[in-house]
Amino acid sequence: MNSLLEIEDLRVTFNTRYGEVTALDSVSLHVKEGETLGVVGESGCGKSITALSVMGLIPTPPGRIAEGAIRLNGEDLTQASEKRMQALRGGEMAMIFQEPMTSLNPVFTVGDQIAEAIMLHQKVDAAQARRDAVALLDRVGIPSPDVRAGDFPHQLSGGMRQRVMIAMAVSCRPKVLIADEPTTALDVTVQAQIFDLLNEIQREFGSAIILITHDMGAISEMADRVAVMYAGRVIEEARADDVLDYPQHPYARGLISCIPALGKDAGGAGDMLAEIPGVVPPLHKLGAGCAFADRCAHQAPRCAVDKPLLAAHGHHPVACHGVEEGWL
Amino acid sequence: MNTSFLLRRLGYGLLLMLGVVVLNFLLIRLAPGDPALVIAGEMGGATQEMLDSIREEYGLNKPVAVQLLLYIGNVLQGDLGESFFFNQPVSSLIAQRVLPTILLVITAQVLSIVIGVVLGVLAARKPNGVMSAFVSVFATIGYAVPVFWTGIMLVILFASIFPIFPVEGMQSVKLRDASGLVKALDILHHLVLPAFTLAVIYLAQYARLSRASMLEVLGSDYIRTARAKGASPRSVLFKHALRNAALPILTVAGLQFGNLISGALLVETVFNWPGMGRLAFESILRRDYPTIMGVLFFASGMVVVANILTDMSYRLADPRLRGKG
Ligand SMILES: Nc1ncnc2c1ncn2[C@@H]1O[C@H](COP(=O)(O)OP(=O)(O)OP(=O)(O)O)[C@@H](O)[C@H]1O
Ligand code: SF4
Ligand SMILES: [Mg+2]
Repeated sequence: MNSLLEIEDLRVTFNTRYGEVTALDSVSLHVKEGETLGVVGESGCGKSITALSVMGLIPTPPGRIAEGAIRLNGEDLTQASEKRMQALRGGEMAMIFQEPMTSLNPVFTVGDQIAEAIMLHQKVDAAQARRDAVALLDRVGIPSPDVRAGDFPHQLSGGMRQRVMIAMAVSCRPKVLIADEPTTALDVTVQAQIFDLLNEIQREFGSAIILITHDMGAISEMADRVAVMYAGRVIEEARADDVLDYPQHPYARGLISCIPALGKDAGGAGDMLAEIPGVVPPLHKLGAGCAFADRCAHQAPRCAVDKPLLAAHGHHPVACHGVEEGWL
Repeated sequence: MNTSFLLRRLGYGLLLMLGVVVLNFLLIRLAPGDPALVIAGEMGGATQEMLDSIREEYGLNKPVAVQLLLYIGNVLQGDLGESFFFNQPVSSLIAQRVLPTILLVITAQVLSIVIGVVLGVLAARKPNGVMSAFVSVFATIGYAVPVFWTGIMLVILFASIFPIFPVEGMQSVKLRDASGLVKALDILHHLVLPAFTLAVIYLAQYARLSRASMLEVLGSDYIRTARAKGASPRSVLFKHALRNAALPILTVAGLQFGNLISGALLVETVFNWPGMGRLAFESILRRDYPTIMGVLFFASGMVVVANILTDMSYRLADPRLRGKG
């Protein structure tokens, strides 16, 4: 089956005080109907920028899509008009953000905010949209939804707000649902509930989900395939089991070895960063070689001058000279 | 909105007005100049008997504390005293002039908010654009230029160069007896310059404030959410962003109301607008204490009412404040 969403050789740049920096380079990803693609990687590696590129929400300026294509059902979104993107956003594709506390507008009721999303994409009147909004609130597990619809965001807990965000995102049965760290701000039991909800919705609507997360536990439970990103590039990509069981890239190995026991209580971002010494180089200091070289125990002379490209070696695509040449 | 909040605000307002009464009274008594001399001067001479009888008649010979208590007692009964100059109750003097002032102040307030906010929003849409630079420069000039200067410049401009707006009074002499629409249009025509003059300083402040406020709001997560659900740029700007950016604007609008009223004093004087401001100005020149105090008292009452209205609308506009004390 063909991919629903295909990102091809995407390059996104930002104008900064260090000049133009490349935040995403040669990023290629794809996801099929009903499939969940996990995207993992350290903070600042470009996960959100990838998601925002798809939604056409890169802040421009300073950012811009410099190269590449993003195809939804074959239509290149990088060439689409703003009007067309408005029709697609919230309709064919929707996004849930990391910050449930601040992602809802404080001066409108949650019911109105969901109803607005419905009316933007469906030909229904306000009363019907309102009823649909209440039904959606019920669907995402909010008790007494008809009352809650009249609440303002500040009257709801973080978990409830994230449910509202999900209700809003799925209100038009999007083909692609991007969830950018949807549970980071929530406590563990609520996290599990939100993931269950996403799973149910996927089963019901057949949406493709792109799940961005730091949580390898969530990946092992939710994702069919995983892309590991580092410094604006995809450095390993495969079926979730393959990446989790046979990580190839030294960075991916580090990432996965940090998980105490997969599927149980996978550590948060903090734990896993502590395990890989060093930090991601800032974008304006990215050189010609492998961006991970400074932190890599297997670094070879070639690594400093020659950028490894994503290519299938053995198991699955990896961007590492060591894996490519077999000395790792 | 709860009643206890309203009652408390009203209570504060009344206390404040009592304070204003006392303060006005003391300040004016402390100012140099003998009102009896002035009144006598208006009457054409100042013999000792005349001065004495004037002092007797207006209670100026009683101790200051007694005068104050008498005044407060009268104010509580709605009696603001007799004008030294007009020999009329101050309350009826004010009643004749209150409508022109309210018309002027509210028109200026609406003009400055509407134009200011539109300019600010347009500027915030492109923070590095031409409009943004214009708003910054305009706001700086607006701050720096005194209102009477703007007024006098407009008078010069429209009196001699482009005589399309009247620069004096509220009604044309030849239309004095007109009524209905003709009268309304005539007043409106006269209102243009004074209202614009008064609006222009505050307008600049609103433009600057709404630009800053919009810029902050436009960077927030819920604006990204609005865009992510497919809202149009206009809806993002005017519905999602402005509703939030309006909150600080509303606060300032309430605070500015007092300044607007004192600004009206100057504007009414420059344009000979028959309102309370001009009455205050003339009464100050004549040391007509009861009138001055009456006008100040009434103006502070207007400010208190405006502040309560602002608070109430702020609570309506920001759901996070509803139901809080
Ligand atoms: N407005 C911007 N101007 C300049 N650089 C930016 C801007 N937004 C993002 N970047 C850069 O793009 C890179 C990728 O950012 P992104 O938000 O995609 O990271 P992320 O992987 O989502 O991280 P996190 O896990 O913290 O959310 C970062 O290095 C960041 O510095
Ligand atoms: S390319 Fe070299 S430096 Fe980079 S991860 Fe592979 S071995 Fe390490
Ligand atoms: Mg992110």
